[in-house]
Amino acid sequence: MSLKPKIALFQCQWCLYSPTDQEWVDSQLPENIHLIKTPCTGRINPLYVLNAVQGGADGVMISGCLPEQCHFKTGNMAARRQLEEFNDFLDYIGYEKSRMRFVWLDLQDRGIIQKRLAQFEKDLEALGQASNLVTRVKVAEGGQNA
Amino acid sequence: MPDLNAIKAEAKRLLAEGVVEVVVAFKPGDTPLHPQPAFFTNVDEVENLVYDGLCQNNLATFLTRLPKTKKVGMLVRGCENRSVNALVVEKQKSRENLYLVGIPCEGIIDWRKIVERAGEAVLAVNENNYVVEIETRDEHFTFSKNELLHDSCLRCVHPTPLSADILIGEALPEGNLAIARKAVEEFEAQTIEDKYAWFQKEAERCIRCYACREACPMCYCTECFVDHIEPRWTESGATPAGMQGWHIVRAFHQTARCTDCGACERACPMDIKMTYLTEKLNHDMINKYNFEAGLDTQTLPPFATVTLDDKNRFMA
Repeated sequence: MSLKPKIALFQCQWCLYSPTDQEWVDSQLPENIHLIKTPCTGRINPLYVLNAVQGGADGVMISGCLPEQCHFKTGNMAARRQLEEFNDFLDYIGYEKSRMRFVWLDLQDRGIIQKRLAQFEKDLEALGQASNLVTRVKVAEGGQNA
Repeated sequence: MPDLNAIKAEAKRLLAEGVVEVVVAFKPGDTPLHPQPAFFTNVDEVENLVYDGLCQNNLATFLTRLPKTKKVGMLVRGCENRSVNALVVEKQKSRENLYLVGIPCEGIIDWRKIVERAGEAVLAVNENNYVVEIETRDEHFTFSKNELLHDSCLRCVHPTPLSADILIGEALPEGNLAIARKAVEEFEAQTIEDKYAWFQKEAERCIRCYACREACPMCYCTECFVDHIEPRWTESGATPAGMQGWHIVRAFHQTARCTDCGACERACPMDIKMTYLTEKLNHDMINKYNFEAGLDTQTLPPFATVTLDDKNRFMA
């Protein structure tokens, strides 16, 4: 694959505690990674993930807090139940299970997200471009009215 | 078949004694293949009541469309009873306002299978002791009932209502969970391309009429995600993304709520196979959380509860 795989990164706004990592995610993400920041992983509706998949994401990464460290007590666990099942379900339909990855981030972690993203990117390169379920009509460059 | 007169007598009693305000059951439809759901509010109307294997709707659908406090009597089969239970768990109706007349179900006949074998000009269908006799203008057919059963009835696990107030007829033996599991596992074993090709082939026939949504007792949102305009969650036209998105999310919203009654599939005008999607989710719920929808009126579905025990599974 000549181009780098496109990754949708869903990130809980509380899970990256280190200011340098946060700064990196906010402003220095490589172009092939699209950041969707949510108030909690519990806010990630499977519909959002589906939108990313249908829009042509080669991989979806979801990063959230450790089980007992959710800012909203149980948001991350509830999300994990749903999204894990959604992952299995998409695999049943035709979107490989390994194209979706979960990351638990600790408050003390530094520089983990970059490593995980790099590893994920490498794994996705081996899988190749996603073609199944990529069906959404592309919006023209410059918005719908362009 | 349960005794129709016993059902009628019970419905009459419920209305006459004022136990319920309305009895939801079936009446003869325009053609012999399609009995219609009906609402009986007084004793005289009950003579019209019919029940046979062709009664294909899931009556629990109407539960959320009647006023919450109305006392409702309802004819329920195994799957309908579980749907009612699931709705009670979700607090859509209080169990005190319900009177369930249970019928041990011998399976619902798929009218498409009759049309396939006997043509469309069916004049009469008689059903007795697992034998179905069909009269058309020129011919007379006899089939065994198993041959005509709808696919989801062939893998039914709980044909007898679990929590009906009264049971008309003898309870039937439980089905075998392994039959349905086998179908799911066989599908899972295919390659990713085959799986997607099958899904694509099914989804691309969709005309977005939402008959499956209307037929489903668990689809009761006042505003469905596909009807949202701002934000628009998914393409609303009959486009590939729209059709696939609809079937994926429709099925996923039924996780741990679907009772596999098959009403969605029977309602589909395009004959799209969609219970294979919900079936997969049902089996995942059994495997992962040991949960089956509608077995009682207390247990919350897995997505509505959280335990920290999960973390061992997810951390691995």
